[in-house]
Amino acid sequence: MSTVAQKRLFHEYKNLSTNPPDGITAGPVTEDDMFHWEALIEGPQGTPFEGGVFAAELKFPKDYPLSPPTMKFVGGGVWHPNVYPNGTVCISILHPPGDDPNHYEHASERWSPIQSVEKILISVMSMLAEPNDESPANVEAAKMWRERRSDYERKVRDEVRKGLGL
Amino acid sequence: MPDEEPSLNISSLLTLAVVSFFVIRWFLKRDGDAGEGSGRSRERGNVVNPAQVEQISQMFPQLSTRDIMWDLQRNGGNVAATTERILTGRGLETPPPSFQPQVAMPQAGAPTVPTAATSAASKLEGQDLISRYNLSAKVAGDGTETSQSSSQSGWSQNKEERQRLLQKRRDDMILAARKRMEQQVKASA
Repeated sequence: MSTVAQKRLFHEYKNLSTNPPDGITAGPVTEDDMFHWEALIEGPQGTPFEGGVFAAELKFPKDYPLSPPTMKFVGGGVWHPNVYPNGTVCISILHPPGDDPNHYEHASERWSPIQSVEKILISVMSMLAEPNDESPANVEAAKMWRERRSDYERKVRDEVRKGLGL
Repeated sequence: MPDEEPSLNISSLLTLAVVSFFVIRWFLKRDGDAGEGSGRSRERGNVVNPAQVEQISQMFPQLSTRDIMWDLQRNGGNVAATTERILTGRGLETPPPSFQPQVAMPQAGAPTVPTAATSAASKLEGQDLISRYNLSAKVAGDGTETSQSSSQSGWSQNKEERQRLLQKRRDDMILAARKRMEQQVKASA
């Protein structure tokens, strides 16, 4: 009944629960559907995201870990050059090894079965700290980040506070 | 024109056709026999899908495509099984020198990723975490309820217990962040 993907996801869930990385909580929404997870990521220190907590949903394909999951921030915008306005995260580790439409990513940065949910979440954390300006998913945010950094930081801090209901 | 060239008349054409038919048949049959002879390896999936080979060799560039083809051929083109085998450290066997991979014409092959970008589910956009996780009661309790022993990790053999532990870790993380933010806002005001 349980497939390679389900076994692998369960194993990752167990590892993330017994030995969680700093500032990260992740697991399936319910164990009845191992292909749908929810994760919380703390904003990295020393960035405008500091102090914030960001919720994201991860959707895994049936052939995980051959193909990567998709990740989407939910419940409020994350104003960031590499996050689409609808919340979908765009970073190299979430791109399948085959396609590289932009030809700037190394194969080693992209998805492969030796990566994991933990590595994705850690990559997203460092993405929050250091946006990749090369292929913005949110053009407006990228422009703001490049040209009006203080406005960008203020906007991010506002969103962080709103995200916590303050 | 057969009249002008008597060397190529109907009967010689027929003979040629019959002879080539038997030659081709003999070739095909010999191939089939060889398959039976070398055991199960040729029984099924004796054609390797290049998309699958490509998929695996991109994930594991250090492996030889010949080894990958050999393994795929033997497990009937099961990419997941081959990957599992590589990941569990068993490695791939070296194919015998007689192994001649037959490569199929490229087809749709590799399973496509379901693009979940258009998921309808995401509960109420623009909602803050407190209302999303129904934490307003706990926020009002001002931290007295939130146990100080913030359970950093937890695993249980019981499914419900695991679910509860995960939810608690989530709630604790959000409430702690909220508390810190509250103090920060108060301090700066």
